[in-house]
Amino acid sequence: MCSSFKSQLMLGQHALGDGTGVPARTISTPDVVKAALYFASATFNASTTAYSATGEVGNSGTYAAGGSTITMATPPSTDGTAGIFTPSASIVHTSFTAASFDCVLFYNSSQSNKAISVHTFGTTSIVAGTFTLTMPAHAAATALIAIT
Amino acid sequence: MDEPLIHTTKGNLHVSSLNYETTWEFEESYVKFIETYTLNGEVVRQSVHVLSMQGVFAEATAQSLN
Repeated sequence: MCSSFKSQLMLGQHALGDGTGVPARTISTPDVVKAALYFASATFNASTTAYSATGEVGNSGTYAAGGSTITMATPPSTDGTAGIFTPSASIVHTSFTAASFDCVLFYNSSQSNKAISVHTFGTTSIVAGTFTLTMPAHAAATALIAIT
Repeated sequence: MDEPLIHTTKGNLHVSSLNYETTWEFEESYVKFIETYTLNGEVVRQSVHVLSMQGVFAEATAQSLN
């Protein structure tokens, strides 16, 4: 597969179908991607197709249902033969309380909340504190999403 | 200079009145730093900072046309 195609997929530069069921969008404007946190008891994996409130941590501090909008200052690109994407800022929630959550779902809130990726980080509990999720390095071997 | 206060489940308390502990978790895909403040054994504030070391991969395989 051509390496350039991998990042162009994430940039929305190819439409290999007629677009049936795909909502209209402004091509020059990035979609809004959000990150929602889930309890360890919830089941989210590669089969997940969309955001769900079931199993999501409750509203607390700066966390509200649906999660936070991620910062995407760095568009998808190609590194070597991989197409890669990584949010450009950490996810931070303060004055936050939640017990036993272990998963973050990235989803496209501009496109019917369609799921993008699921990442786990071990069972975590916060008490009136701060939760910080710092993104990995934006490179082929580490990017949050890599099509290799 | 006044002693700093810190927000807890018991309200704003002097930092010196609390016990402070840190722990680390090292996994292949993340590193986790946990800060815990306790008051008489009760956790009154806990913060967690996760550094993601690696994301997810989708492999595009090359196949010959049959």
